[in-house]
Amino acid sequence: MTQFLASIGFDRWILHVLLVLPLVGVIPVLLGPVAMARRTALFVTVVEFVLSAGLWWAVNTTPGTLQLTSSMAWIPAWGISYAVGIDGISLTMVLLTTLLMPLCVLGSWNYITERERGYYVMLLTLLTGVLGVFLATDLFLFYVFWEVMLIPMYFIIGMWGGKNRLYAAIKFFVFTMAGSLLMLVAILALAWAVAGRTGTLSFAYEHLLTNSHVVGGLAPWLFGAFALAFAIKVPVFPFHTWLPDAHVEAPTAGSVLLAGVLLKLGTYGFLRYAVPFFPEVAASPWVTNLVLLLAVIGIVYGALVAMVQPDIKKLVAYSSVSHLGFVMLGIWAATVQSIEGAIMVMIGHGLSTGALFFLVGMLYERRHTRDISAYGGLAKVVPVFSLVFTVVALSSVGLPGLNGFIGEFLVLLGSFRVHPWATGIATTGVIFAAAYLLWALQRIIYNKLDKRENESLTDLSARELVVMGPLLLGILWMGLYPAPILRRIEPAAVRYIETLRGPLGFQGVSQQTPVVPR
Amino acid sequence: MPLDLTTPLGATMALLPEIALTLGALVLLLVNAWRNGTARDSRLSGYLALVSLVPSAIALGILWMGGARAEGPAYMVALDPYRFAALALILVATAGTILLSLGYLEREGLIAPEYYSLVLFAASGMMFMAGAEDLIVLFLGLEIMSVSVYVLAGFNRGSVFSAEAALKYFLVGAFASAFLLYGIALLWGATGSTGLADIGARLSGGEVPVLGKLGLGLLLIGMGFKVAAVPFHMWAPDVYDGSPTPVTGFMATGVKAAGFLGLARILYEAFPAATEVWQPVVAALAVASMVLGNFVALSQRSLKRMLAYSSIAHAGYLLTALWPGSRLGSGATLLYLAAYTLTSLAVFGILSVLGRGGERDVTLDSIAGLARRRPWLAFALSVCMLSLLGFPGTFGFVGKWAILAAVVEAKQVVLAVVVVLTSLVSAGYYLPVVMAVYMREPAGSESHSGAGLPRPAVITVALAVAIVLLAGILPASALASAMDTAGSLGPAGSAPIVGFRR
Repeated sequence: MTQFLASIGFDRWILHVLLVLPLVGVIPVLLGPVAMARRTALFVTVVEFVLSAGLWWAVNTTPGTLQLTSSMAWIPAWGISYAVGIDGISLTMVLLTTLLMPLCVLGSWNYITERERGYYVMLLTLLTGVLGVFLATDLFLFYVFWEVMLIPMYFIIGMWGGKNRLYAAIKFFVFTMAGSLLMLVAILALAWAVAGRTGTLSFAYEHLLTNSHVVGGLAPWLFGAFALAFAIKVPVFPFHTWLPDAHVEAPTAGSVLLAGVLLKLGTYGFLRYAVPFFPEVAASPWVTNLVLLLAVIGIVYGALVAMVQPDIKKLVAYSSVSHLGFVMLGIWAATVQSIEGAIMVMIGHGLSTGALFFLVGMLYERRHTRDISAYGGLAKVVPVFSLVFTVVALSSVGLPGLNGFIGEFLVLLGSFRVHPWATGIATTGVIFAAAYLLWALQRIIYNKLDKRENESLTDLSARELVVMGPLLLGILWMGLYPAPILRRIEPAAVRYIETLRGPLGFQGVSQQTPVVPR
Repeated sequence: MPLDLTTPLGATMALLPEIALTLGALVLLLVNAWRNGTARDSRLSGYLALVSLVPSAIALGILWMGGARAEGPAYMVALDPYRFAALALILVATAGTILLSLGYLEREGLIAPEYYSLVLFAASGMMFMAGAEDLIVLFLGLEIMSVSVYVLAGFNRGSVFSAEAALKYFLVGAFASAFLLYGIALLWGATGSTGLADIGARLSGGEVPVLGKLGLGLLLIGMGFKVAAVPFHMWAPDVYDGSPTPVTGFMATGVKAAGFLGLARILYEAFPAATEVWQPVVAALAVASMVLGNFVALSQRSLKRMLAYSSIAHAGYLLTALWPGSRLGSGATLLYLAAYTLTSLAVFGILSVLGRGGERDVTLDSIAGLARRRPWLAFALSVCMLSLLGFPGTFGFVGKWAILAAVVEAKQVVLAVVVVLTSLVSAGYYLPVVMAVYMREPAGSESHSGAGLPRPAVITVALAVAIVLLAGILPASALASAMDTAGSLGPAGSAPIVGFRR
């Protein structure tokens, strides 16, 4: 496979093609007949996925540095270029994104009946935006993608969302923008500080990374600006209030993408930018304790609030707050296991929560209600749906053998040595997760079939099975044989830890034994 | 092409764009002596006005491409790329205004062809103002511009609001002129000259005399009125609101550009040595304008009034751009003005077809669901809103980026933070416009059925939006040329910026 890919020059064009293809796909969607819009979008996204799958073999993740890098002057006088690259971490995120996207198109197949062309144009634009954020290795380019991605999501929520969509859309937009605008100032200040010392004005990632120490006393402020932008996106408690609104009001595909991909942009930002740029600040006790506190509050609070939600979609939304807390904990513990675990939670959450939102959407399309109390005993009526729902819910709970377990276990394992207290409290989050999901499962799928409206529900259609199939496969694969994934993210995780340890040493954590024998 | 400005020929050559435009305006006035009664005459005058911009543009092109510069020190009028860029910007704003007016005047029944001569006279005033190398020339240009725009503001004689706008603008404008003139007089007293370079040279050594500080302060007040910076902004909402919409667009683009370009020249050429005197004042005006403009715009119902307050906020951003007193700052001013001018032309062009009778009652409710009926209009309006917001992918972002870079380079991060935070506030009134046109349903089946742009306006709006998008995606050449141009302004030998060494 690797040889075949090399023979077609795959590594030279793939990243650019991934970024451009969805935008090219916009043209036939816009110009073609309305009825063809969804088919065209499906075709484009499937091609995108197939192409991106080649990255699995084409990217050499062993060095842990950015691979397949290429750069082209964009605004040369300002040292801004169109520069892309990929490492083990962004590889998994890219694949997650390209996997979810065709499923989102399929999941919207019958649900979106109005202004279809606009909808699929927005999905495709969003795909470019998200991939751009993961692939950009120039901070200006990163910022542009980061902001541009907002527009399609804003329209998806605002035009095809639920009753309260306008409020949710503007809240989503303003929250994200609040963080990112300050980040913009921080990017500029960082670039100019580095330029003042090195003599080269450049926004290239590696250039800024190697020289970021020159900012001196400015570092806490710059870190704060970056961290705020990412914390809002994650979302870290107490910046999470946009999330339930946006998730609940967005159409199914919007929620899937929000939870599956967009939230990861925040944690990815911490891993790629905020922490490596300002390791001293990130590792300072004050910041560490604050982040741990917020992460643990997020884990417990998200889980507790999820437990009392009468609305399934809101329940899943709050469960995201809880899961992403584990990621933050893992990032700040900064051991090999915890970083790998954090990334595994990011992937696993993308699959499980994505699948949960799809399933909730399927229920909603049938009954037009998301109240848990409106269901009960579905196992008798829709056995396949119930089975899938159960598996997905269990994976989200963290049942060993399914994907949720691997990530959360690694995070807890890796973090316990460093932050035993925080980890101890975080563990309760796993228990709460079992409580809220199993309880919801019981009230929806099991219990007595006592609502007449539920008796005539139809089981999953072939199309819906096609949507769920890849997600279930991913859930099982990650749970049973995560080694290939771990092998790919480990070097990048090690490199990340090395950037942290270099200047300060991270609370005396000594050499780690890698979890995957190499 | 070095021109000796002391000889009649050299001076004429240097002023060719202005002279050509003024001659065109006079010829147009003459034509209107015979042809002034019908809608056809009005249209004819409009096209004639458009045509009379051409010689001016050609003259400008010759000067610019020929690399015209003054032999010896330039006095009375500047001869550098910064002036040429300013003139180009003013010509674009004028051409856009004329194109937007063509259909508008007929629709509103404002058949009085002298409208176009007034626009041309105002434009020539702006050109003098933006290129002035002497405070007296600046004042003359300002007066030529202002008197013409006073009349234009009150052009809709049937509307009390238009009359109110004209009167208010006239009174406040006269007041501002008095400040300006007094400031010039004091500066003359302090330095013995009204030439910008002379003043700069006399102030360069040591302490600025009290008289000079006072003169500079009065000058800033006068210009502050003209560009509608807080606290000298009180006239702007009513005047913007009451004037015919293309005239409002002209004020937001041409008048504002001329004011800022003139101010940039004063600050950078006459007072580079007095930065510690004017920087705090400019910063205070900038912060006040950004905060007040953006917050008050949030609570406006009428779109036109909202845009008036937003233009106050943009004056704040532009003052921020001037603040550093660096080459990057003057470049950012130019770039932001270009972005703002193009966007505003498109916005006011779109606004002028959304309503009737001065568009005072165009609100968010009345544009709801515009995308269903007029998808292109809705798209253009949304792009403009995002550009005004400074969103990546639009020209507005490039401008704002340059402003932020300029203040960050000058190590004034606080000002940069104020810019971005107030921009965030502005999302609170720009985004609802996008929401209204795309995400809400039209009020009735009849709404927006009349909203169609006349062809000349279509050209203006389409071109402006296309450039806003293009320059937003590929900003390299716009940025580079703005910064090159900015290099010609200010004290010679100012340090080059990191990264700009070529």
